[in-house]
Amino acid sequence: MFYLRLARGYRVPDLGRWLLTTLAAAVVAAFLLRSLGRAMSDPLGGEDALERLLWCLPPLAAVAWFAAVTARAVPAQQPERITGLRAAGAGSGGVRTLIAGEVALACALGSVLTLLAFLVLRNDIAGPTLAPDLGMGVPLPAAAPVTLLALVPLTAGIAAACAVPLDETLPGGRTRAHGPTGFGAWRIALPVGLSVIGLALELIALRPGAAVDDRPIHLPAGLGTTSTAAFGGWAASALGLALLTGPLLSWTGRLLALGRPTPLRLLAGRGLTAQARRLGPPLAVLTLALAMVLTTIRYWIGTPDSADALPAIEACLVLGCAAAAVAVRLTEVRTDRRGVTDALLRLGTSPRLLFGAVALRTLAVGTTLLVTGGATAALAAAGLR
Amino acid sequence: MSAAPPDNDVLWARGIVKSHHGTPALRGISIGVREGEVLAVTGPRGSGKSTLLGCLSALLPVDKGEVWFNSAPVHTLGRAGRERLRRDRFGFVGSEPHLVPELTARENVALPLLLAGAGNKAAYTAADEWLERLDVGEVARQRPERLVRSQCQRIAVARALAPLPPVVFADDPTAPLHREASDQVLRILTSAARSHQLTLVLATHDPELVRFADRAVALVDGRLTAPAAPVPRGTAAPGTASASAVSATRR
Repeated sequence: MFYLRLARGYRVPDLGRWLLTTLAAAVVAAFLLRSLGRAMSDPLGGEDALERLLWCLPPLAAVAWFAAVTARAVPAQQPERITGLRAAGAGSGGVRTLIAGEVALACALGSVLTLLAFLVLRNDIAGPTLAPDLGMGVPLPAAAPVTLLALVPLTAGIAAACAVPLDETLPGGRTRAHGPTGFGAWRIALPVGLSVIGLALELIALRPGAAVDDRPIHLPAGLGTTSTAAFGGWAASALGLALLTGPLLSWTGRLLALGRPTPLRLLAGRGLTAQARRLGPPLAVLTLALAMVLTTIRYWIGTPDSADALPAIEACLVLGCAAAAVAVRLTEVRTDRRGVTDALLRLGTSPRLLFGAVALRTLAVGTTLLVTGGATAALAAAGLR
Repeated sequence: MSAAPPDNDVLWARGIVKSHHGTPALRGISIGVREGEVLAVTGPRGSGKSTLLGCLSALLPVDKGEVWFNSAPVHTLGRAGRERLRRDRFGFVGSEPHLVPELTARENVALPLLLAGAGNKAAYTAADEWLERLDVGEVARQRPERLVRSQCQRIAVARALAPLPPVVFADDPTAPLHREASDQVLRILTSAARSHQLTLVLATHDPELVRFADRAVALVDGRLTAPAAPVPRGTAAPGTASASAVSATRR
């Protein structure tokens, strides 16, 4: 409880983080309760109920991802607070509990709000269109909503707790957080292998002379059906490309600083290489989500009566979480590098040069992501045809 | 507006007052630094050494008073002007190395030269030379994260000296070093300053290190205690006056 008093010192970014977490958790809770309501209304709905529940996993994962990225960023963004806590005797366990507890609390708040809305709506307020989604008229077993709603704060809290940096790299600790900047051999071989295998699978499945099989895989979100090989191939290559984003960013940085670089290219390129490990994952997640969403929208436009509202809401949530995670990671990197920026300014580097380096880096990152995202989207579109 | 500074002073300050968020750091300091000399500024922690060096090196704008470099005013310069001055005329070594972590040692040292518009080849040749001279030539192609602190500090010294700036500021450069290494770094700093006719302003909390300097001044609580520069009699008065004015307003 004492830790919660720290909330009194919160400023707009912290409150925004809380608000976003709460909002996202509320939406996920709504999905969970909807699947519960549907399960109650349907007379012994077997597979459908499970499928609906499984559909709640992507948004849940998105919230957990956002929680993990923000939890990791907290020590870098508020070093004074963490240093103060540690000086006052809080160990790394305490700091971890504090950060994870904050996230879990925000999620619990969102879940409870949704539960309240759900209960209010069940009181014959909702019209007949919503009635089956709320399980209206069926008595609500108390354990079910509680279990489902505990899922969101638990998942997000655990993800956050796991993401808090280790003891000695926390501010006030002995070492500075300078992780390794390179990528191991397996870290490059695995995604490359996955992409190649996936691409080959998909090409084999889609070759002109291929027998048109019965396309047994039913895709969600009104995307129709596809063949097993095409789907598996796409999934493997998408995962490979996402995992490859970090190494690709690192190589892009090397490319930028190739030859006899000017200070602009040197700073932009080396900076990108150094940050590739940290920027890679959130950017890869955002790119993957964006590619999938754009492909779906394109399919919806091309095929009449295929659009669906719920997947659209889910996509918005996932995209929002992914984009927020990227923003959080960017600010984390920025605050972490404040010392370097100060040192550069002290050397007499003009802010214009630093700005130019950031712009050049952004351009390079954008180009790389356009390639990976474009490839993912193209493969998905080919598989849908 | 003011009397012209003495001709032999490369850097000259009169009555500078500076506070950090209301905490006074400098309470009216007048000091002159002669060309080619090694000036030590001593004083305990919190006495205002770093702030004085920051003000003299155009890193911090002064609240009150004047700073002149080579008979040109520094205190009236805008941000861009101060940046240019720092880049082209001043070198700086802090108590922390503050190297750019993603650049190798030689790139770190070559960076100020590259920023000043030197050619690639010239910049890297100079960088390699200085790294050799400071006994860190063998780690020239490594990044700072793999190096120990004393090596990083030597690289920082090389970075400050490589462009051969007319004035080098060293703010407690030996803080992270052992006695042996600190002596060596200071010897290199001072001998480089003497052989290349550079002016070196050295702040240190260790009174023993004064032996490396030509002249020393002592700072206590933002005031000079030892007579500093041969500041002309007429100009010394406003400095002390502004200092007493500050202390008067604080009471």
